[in-house]
Amino acid sequence: MALDVGTLATQMLGAALPILKKDASDAESFAKTEFTKIAQTIVSIGEQVAAGQIDQLQASLLLDMQTSASRNVLLTLKGLALLAVQEAINAALSVVKTAVNTALGFALIA
Amino acid sequence: MKPVKTTSPVLHKQGPLAFAVLVVAILLTSCAVKLIGDYDDTIDKGVTDVQQRAELYLSKLQSTPNTPYDQSFYDDIDARLAVLKSRAVSLPKYPIIVEQLGNLRSQFDTLQKLDKSSARPFPGVAVTDAESAIAVSVESILKLELALKDGAKPSAPGLTKGSK
Repeated sequence: MALDVGTLATQMLGAALPILKKDASDAESFAKTEFTKIAQTIVSIGEQVAAGQIDQLQASLLLDMQTSASRNVLLTLKGLALLAVQEAINAALSVVKTAVNTALGFALIA
Repeated sequence: MKPVKTTSPVLHKQGPLAFAVLVVAILLTSCAVKLIGDYDDTIDKGVTDVQQRAELYLSKLQSTPNTPYDQSFYDDIDARLAVLKSRAVSLPKYPIIVEQLGNLRSQFDTLQKLDKSSARPFPGVAVTDAESAIAVSVESILKLELALKDGAKPSAPGLTKGSK
């Protein structure tokens, strides 16, 4: 049985794309929620300095904590992206595994 | 080498990201691809435990602003995070969570400076801001850990062996 590039590609994309789209949507939702919290806190820090509730040193330290929080949000997004690509590749391979291995007569895709 | 030509409308429609996935998938055909480490229950529970301890301390500082600075709290948190980070370092494909734990530790170092240098009564608004920053970091780490846990389940479409 001959393998057709277009057919294989369509099957692989059909398996991979829903995963990438769903995971991208989940990551966007997470990022929106967490960055909103950070933005609210930064605004709040400014208001607290203006109101004399905290001094500039305290504000600076609190902002530093927010910066670390932002780094952790971005690192999670990086991890989620890696995970999504991993799942998409594996799904794409899995969906054509039988066809490829049967056509070739040996287990190219384990 | 003869270039592979395809006229698949799907490839043209979905753009370079989809094509990149296809190319990588074809190149890595021997076994399942692993780009990031597995879920780790110890890190999940350890980070949650650190957050609980922090919440307790900060709640006390919020409700009783004259609570004195407590070095033992910071020593305890620092030790717990150091242990978790050592574990993360030893796990395969875990650099992201190692860095996240480092950032969380850095947040507690900053909180310690704030706590130590602030006169009493400690400003309640600062407690709220600090609590929020730590919560975002903890949620970020847990979000990734839980995604790793879910990712281990074979729930993705097209994963059945009989697919063609």
